[in-house]
Amino acid sequence: MRTLVRGGRLIDPAQGIDAQRDVLIENGFVVAIGEHLDASHARVVDATNAIVAPGFIDMHVHLREPGQTHKETIATGTAAAVAGGFAAVACMPNTEPALDSAAIVSEVVRRAEIAGLARVYPIGAITKARAGIELAPYHLLADAGCVAFSDDGATPRNTRILRNAARYASDLPHVFISHCEDADLKGDAVMNEGGPSMRLGLDGAPGLAEDVIVARDLLVAGDTQKAWHIAHVSTATSLDLIRWSRARGVPVTCEVTPHHVVFLDDRFDDYRADSKVSPPLRAAADREALRRAVYDGTIDVFATDHAPHGLDEKAQLLSAAPVGFSGLEIALGGYALAFPDLPPAQFIAMLSTNPARILGVPGGTLAVGSCGDVTVFADRAWTVDARLFRSKGKNTPFDGMTLPRRAVATIVEGAVVFEHGRVLPRDEVPA
Amino acid sequence: MAPRSLLDVDDLSPEELVGVLDRAVAFRDALPSRDLLAGVPVLNLFFEASTRTATSFSLAEQRVGADIISFAPGASSLGKGETIADTALTLRGIGVRVIVVRHQESGFARRLADSFDGHVINAGDGTHAHPTQALLDLMTLRQEFGRFDGLRLAIVGDILHSRVARSNIVGMRALGGPATLLPDAFAAEGVRVERDLDAVLPGLDAVMMLRIQRERISGGLLPVLDDYTQRYQLNRARLRSLRNDAIILHPGPYNRGVELTDDVLDDPRSRYVAQVHNGVFVRMAVLDLLVNGAAIPA
Repeated sequence: MRTLVRGGRLIDPAQGIDAQRDVLIENGFVVAIGEHLDASHARVVDATNAIVAPGFIDMHVHLREPGQTHKETIATGTAAAVAGGFAAVACMPNTEPALDSAAIVSEVVRRAEIAGLARVYPIGAITKARAGIELAPYHLLADAGCVAFSDDGATPRNTRILRNAARYASDLPHVFISHCEDADLKGDAVMNEGGPSMRLGLDGAPGLAEDVIVARDLLVAGDTQKAWHIAHVSTATSLDLIRWSRARGVPVTCEVTPHHVVFLDDRFDDYRADSKVSPPLRAAADREALRRAVYDGTIDVFATDHAPHGLDEKAQLLSAAPVGFSGLEIALGGYALAFPDLPPAQFIAMLSTNPARILGVPGGTLAVGSCGDVTVFADRAWTVDARLFRSKGKNTPFDGMTLPRRAVATIVEGAVVFEHGRVLPRDEVPA
Repeated sequence: MAPRSLLDVDDLSPEELVGVLDRAVAFRDALPSRDLLAGVPVLNLFFEASTRTATSFSLAEQRVGADIISFAPGASSLGKGETIADTALTLRGIGVRVIVVRHQESGFARRLADSFDGHVINAGDGTHAHPTQALLDLMTLRQEFGRFDGLRLAIVGDILHSRVARSNIVGMRALGGPATLLPDAFAAEGVRVERDLDAVLPGLDAVMMLRIQRERISGGLLPVLDDYTQRYQLNRARLRSLRNDAIILHPGPYNRGVELTDDVLDDPRSRYVAQVHNGVFVRMAVLDLLVNGAAIPA
């Protein structure tokens, strides 16, 4: 099978390329980059007036399968991924049951293959059932396909357990990913603590709830020298702590989300849960610090924290509604909105090259011989209509907004799985 | 235009607010005929226990001739997982035109009003707002001083958890209390945050003492009560530094021996009875305004 991406502006940060180039993929691998490549017998993707990049990798999604398939399935989640321009996603282990055994991880991998859309990289639990008590079997999980470890929203309270986990897993290259929130400081918070929460009479989580766990986990990373990744950073202090750790040689990376760089904690006047998320949307000073940290390189990765829920679940009272919302299908547009003057090469590095390096997975470049995952995107304005999402999660604070950038085509292992606004499972692609 | 609701004091324009107070005074001076809301179905929906507010609303509704419905929300469909929107649709279908609602969660009245094609009156939502309490406080203050301009009122106690304080912050200027219960963020709302009650007490026209719930101690927000009362309790000693023409307000219920002592309730400057008395007329005026519109009785 030959696939030719023709007529686009190829930007590959890993090779330092930014030029009009065609990309030819054969049998799942890049075989040639050049001008006016031969299109005979090839499936041609027209990339005219678009940018051609190594396939985007979202290293923070929730696919909800197994156990919560009313919210999302691996099939609907990966359809949302490719429609949003992501050739691969790493899925968090907060499923039911958690991704804490080789059997469950293998099943996730199998279902992703059946879906035939984006690559799915499971993230294994750090502790059994994410309960923070017993260590998960890291080597068995790695053999089954896990690319990283995290207890996601339930970071171990017991620092001894976390330290032991990092030491036990030290012979694996797999990064530990922390969702940093102190459960006691957070309490029953439904939003950020600040002027709006005080005025509305709502429980707020202080930035401190994030900062103290970021500090703890970075100290554990320094102590164990385990590669560590801080998920969805939302405060200025967290960024300072990350800079401080890096200066001391701690192997730490971090990500941000579209919602934290676009929105503020002023979205709760209607007491609806549409913008309820963990960590919460913060005040302006934190958002500005996040934006600066993207430009100055402190933040490595653009992720989404795609967290789909049913509309009925999000329509509950603020206290009862779950946290999070869909992110895969608005991410490119949301990031372009927040960072209109970010160099395209950095935009691409944060969506592809950097997550590939951190997770140790294929891709992140279109060098000859690398995997044939390609994202084609363009600066074409569009208006978000969440009802049209491929994801089962039809909820996003971006709903109704006009965004400046979108995916044009998504190619996985040489197979065109998204083009012309349509998701194309691999079996339907003409040979 | 959607039917009007009263979710917080700022749903009323300044003119309307004065109009409600004028109307309440008129009703207090001479009860209106019982046909102001004749045949209007009013539902009292109290998810949270209430003595004075529920009683006060019931009497107000009777005095304007409404058809009153009350039921135990603990057994309602909302408890069985029905959405707020579905409940609102059902209640409107039955014929309810006004809902007086109290709920333990901030924002409940707003969520209900957003899906109910009728009038919603917030009788207290979580720690957010209690507009008819604020209106009766304003009525009591105006009755005493004849004006609001330049009045110095201190709200003392657990501001953080007080919907009464939030609703009263409209038009009022000084707050006092311990840092865990009086966050500095309130300063952004145009009020002065003060930690030293003794320093401000002599200059006050009115002081509003909020209830201190003993659960705040187990929640780690307060140490032993003595530490609180030593700084913030209104007692015989502090009564001496309050001016003779100042007044004392309390939204109730009291915790005798906590935020205030028995001396305070016996003090001639205490206006607790006037407050609850005014409450009925304020609630009549609100019902009349929302259902019948802005015409103010001559």
